[in-house]
Amino acid sequence: MAERYSSFTPGGTGWLLQRLTAAFLIVVLAFHFFLLHFINHAADVTFADSAARMAETGYFVTMILFLVTAAFHGVNGVYNALINAGLDGSAKTAVKWVLIVAGVLLIVQGVRLATALQAGGI
Amino acid sequence: MSRVNKQYNRGAIEDFGRWREFTAGMWAWVFHKFTGWVLIAYLFTHIAVLSTAMAGPGTFTNTIQGLESLIVVRILEVGLLAVAVFHILNGTRLLLIDLGLGLESQDKSFYASLLLTGAIAVASTPVFIEGAF
Repeated sequence: MAERYSSFTPGGTGWLLQRLTAAFLIVVLAFHFFLLHFINHAADVTFADSAARMAETGYFVTMILFLVTAAFHGVNGVYNALINAGLDGSAKTAVKWVLIVAGVLLIVQGVRLATALQAGGI
Repeated sequence: MSRVNKQYNRGAIEDFGRWREFTAGMWAWVFHKFTGWVLIAYLFTHIAVLSTAMAGPGTFTNTIQGLESLIVVRILEVGLLAVAVFHILNGTRLLLIDLGLGLESQDKSFYASLLLTGAIAVASTPVFIEGAF
């Protein structure tokens, strides 16, 4: 199996979560681009419009799920790419915790700004 | 996996100096990694820019519209679209292969992902560039 290039353990939790989040992100990322570049144009984005969108519960929940799944998928992807590149031992543990902290901070900040937008639209 | 290794004597992908000999699957691997790095880097940047919402409505609107008035930002957005579309299409290809679908035609589905990414990026460029000049 020396030529097996995936660093994921087949059937492992990380492997499964990476694929479940992928399936969700395929749909939501496409929706996000479509909504903010084709239905609305990025150049016309205003606080009022963004706040109005975020004030809708379904949209707010979707964006929070988008944030959490994207943060997990991205950070877990980076972690596995680095393992694939030879990361091992104590460096692997250190990188793992740096990535976990970065991911959590990203989610916390994303929720804070989404909440600020939501409050502005109510 | 043994079936794959029998079909393709692909060698080490880490030896990027021999990129001319890379097979379709190896390019798919390289592009998926590259687009993944771009997307996670962009996500951090995106949340940072959108965080101007916490400084007030005026700051948020001025930041977004100020960035969107820059042609370089519009061009980078087309690049981001291409990166996202490829990651989505190749990711779908990977999910299907994981489910046992399309392993025999994995090279063709990679080429299809590339072509479709190019077509979508080109077709979307007018919408992304509109009003920038």
